[in-house]
Amino acid sequence: MALLEINNVSKHFGGLKAVDQVSISIEKGQIYGLIGPNGAGKTTLFNCVAGTYPPTSGTIVYNGEDITVLKPWNVCKKRIARTFQIVKPFQKKTVLYNAMVGSFIRTANPSEAEDRAMEVLKRFNLGSKCNVLAGNLTIADRKRLEIARAMATEPEMFLMDESMAGLRPNEVDETLDEVRKIRDSGVTIFMIEHIMRAIMSVSDRITVIQFGKKIMDGTPHEVAKDERVIKAYLGESYGAA
Amino acid sequence: MDVIIQAIINGLLTGSYYGLAALGLTLIFGVIKVINFAHGSLLMVGMFTAYWIVTLTGWHPYAALIVVVPMLFFFGYALQGVLIKPVLEAQREVREPTEVIVVTTGVWYILDNLALMIFGAEYRVVQTSISGQIFMLGDYIFPKPQLYGFITTVVTSGLLVWFLKFTKMGKSIRAASLDRDAASLMGINQYRVYNIAFGIGAAIAGIVGCVLIPFYYVFPTVGVVFDVKCFIIVVLGGLGSIPGALAGGAIVGLIESIFAQYIASTWTELIVYVVFLAVLFIRPAGLFGEKRDW
Amino acid sequence: MNSGSKRKTIDTILKIALAVIVFTLPLWITSPTYLQILIFLLLFAYLTTSWNLVGGFAGVLPLGHSAYVGIGAYTSTVLWITWGISPWLGMWVGGIFAAIVGTIIGIPTLKLRGAYFALSTMAFGEGVRVLTENVVQVGSCVIGGPQGICLPLVPGNNFALFQFVSKVPYYYIILVMLCIAVFITWYISRIRPGYYLAAGGEEPEAAQALGVNVAKYKVWAMALSCFMTALGGTFLAQLTLYFYPKQILGLDFSFELAFIALIGGRGTIAGPVIGALLLRPVSEFTRIYLSSVLPGLHLVIFGAILILVMLFQPRGLVEPLTRFYDWILDSLSGEKKEVRA
Repeated sequence: MALLEINNVSKHFGGLKAVDQVSISIEKGQIYGLIGPNGAGKTTLFNCVAGTYPPTSGTIVYNGEDITVLKPWNVCKKRIARTFQIVKPFQKKTVLYNAMVGSFIRTANPSEAEDRAMEVLKRFNLGSKCNVLAGNLTIADRKRLEIARAMATEPEMFLMDESMAGLRPNEVDETLDEVRKIRDSGVTIFMIEHIMRAIMSVSDRITVIQFGKKIMDGTPHEVAKDERVIKAYLGESYGAA
Repeated sequence: MDVIIQAIINGLLTGSYYGLAALGLTLIFGVIKVINFAHGSLLMVGMFTAYWIVTLTGWHPYAALIVVVPMLFFFGYALQGVLIKPVLEAQREVREPTEVIVVTTGVWYILDNLALMIFGAEYRVVQTSISGQIFMLGDYIFPKPQLYGFITTVVTSGLLVWFLKFTKMGKSIRAASLDRDAASLMGINQYRVYNIAFGIGAAIAGIVGCVLIPFYYVFPTVGVVFDVKCFIIVVLGGLGSIPGALAGGAIVGLIESIFAQYIASTWTELIVYVVFLAVLFIRPAGLFGEKRDW
Repeated sequence: MNSGSKRKTIDTILKIALAVIVFTLPLWITSPTYLQILIFLLLFAYLTTSWNLVGGFAGVLPLGHSAYVGIGAYTSTVLWITWGISPWLGMWVGGIFAAIVGTIIGIPTLKLRGAYFALSTMAFGEGVRVLTENVVQVGSCVIGGPQGICLPLVPGNNFALFQFVSKVPYYYIILVMLCIAVFITWYISRIRPGYYLAAGGEEPEAAQALGVNVAKYKVWAMALSCFMTALGGTFLAQLTLYFYPKQILGLDFSFELAFIALIGGRGTIAGPVIGALLLRPVSEFTRIYLSSVLPGLHLVIFGAILILVMLFQPRGLVEPLTRFYDWILDSLSGEKKEVRA
């Protein structure tokens, strides 16, 4: 049984069909990629899964349970974590504080939450910066904090929204390593990414979306060669066989 | 029936200068995303300036506009540039920093109380050539000062709309209102735009001050009365919406005037607050506001 | 020898000395005028600390909190005058009533952002004031309309009826209330609800994604804040024995609470106390000595302070004062503050 099943999910905003009948099936332990041109509806789909707003139609089933209309905090309690495309650190608080907000979901005890938060921070190389105000971090560290903070909630599934946008190539590689390590620790990953080499190299399967519709899914190899995908990204003229 | 129609007329006339007062506020709100608690005080400054001009020179209050409008424009411009800009810069990433609210409140306290210290608390009244005059249409009374106020509102709104739609500066203001930093990336000096927007808002407050002279008491805390009303009107109509401010003003004016026929005026105040809270809960964007993630 | 211990010792000594001074102040300062000033200072510190639960921790700006002071004062007073219920009991009724009202108002308004929330609290506060001014009597309960209520004087020191001839008992009561309020604030900031509240106040979307039901925590903070504020209202009623809507339910009062917190340091624990410590004397002394000569001067000064602090120390004066205190400790002990690795 798939861990996460997105069944015919649509999301309309007034007359705009941001997501149109998309179905995706993610197995436990996979790194599943979601790609598509800008404005294709990727983040909207994420938001539906994460509970920011409910889909207009369709269902979302996690571990056999229907989570379609759950609010974001309840989705988190079901062990699904997410990051945001534009990172949202608690800027006036320390890195440790940020992580503790995450770890508090597993325990109400402050010193336990602190210990767990420190562990997670160390895993992501932020341990030495635990007392720095989040607002003073570099963009790379902020992205790392975003991931670490979400991981502090000890999720089973992790929705990563463009965690590598704006990073330099070596930082992208570091993040890819971290993504692999997260998966190896038992977390299933569903990620949106624009940096092709990154997502192609790390995903087990990929779904491609354009104008809210799924145009194909398959392994990275299959996706790279698919004519519809090439057309979607590069335009009709590239669609020659 | 006649009574109701007269009440409607009164309500619309009153509502017009309420709306005009709110216009300045909504512009500042809409563009800079700032709650300007000093708005009423700027109105008061306009009123006192017009008062002294009329009293000392015998000019018609509308003639005083020549002095009041530029004076308040520059005052508003300076206020934004000197006091508010540093706060906005320091809080780049915050959409509406609360610090600005505090700063404008400080300005409010200072202006109102300086006026109190300098001019004393007494209520002053000016007799002008149009005070107490009325204009009759059939059986209905149109007090001249309020009628002139209505006309002023229409003219000012028209000018403002023309300015925002058709002039370069106006368009820059509209662009800057959408996103503080995006506009600057397109070569618009957003802080200069803010200064001008604030100046215009202040100038409009000054215009209202002149409009009020023929029929309203002049006293240092007159601004407070208008402050709360204006905020209500602006939220009612939708932050940043010009038709909203005017509609909101009309609504508040009508509520006050129509309900005053049936109940004591102190209760009409309460009704206005209740209506305000109701609108806020049902449609926080206001009547004409855009639906945002408020 | 532990290198930080001399510094810590001096720190502890200073703090104990401060506590001793504060708790024995009435022995040294016997003038009722000055005692009254101090009592008001503590009262404002208390009210602002209560305000801070919503305005500081939850990250919104309530500008109508005087409504809850009024609810507390009116409830306990009306209960006493009409039915002879001791103000100590009436205080709790007032608190619970205020918490309920605060929750009802809070649920829809706390969903609004920034400006809208601030304005809605202002409108609510003013609405309560106008309502109260219009009501002189409800059944057998006298509300007093715009004239307000004058509490009947009870002769002598009567603890049960919460009235004392001397100012000293009032001083200790409010001091204890303040200590409890500060303790509650400190405690909350250290446990999970405090973290969730602060997170939800800063970045609600991110907090929600981390499992925080932001609205729920904000409403709880509001309820607690309103409850505590109302208790202060009862205290004020019993202290001054007279209050009226424009004063106790007024916008000026609401604003003063907010600004004391903002100047002291909103969202910090010591901020409201420091803010009150700095601003109340300014307010009182300019009013006492200058108001007949130059009415309104204290507000001009107040306004100027507001502007200056916002321009130069927007996070409040707690930070620079803490650094100053650290510097004093460093100089006295010859050691520097330990930085946690």
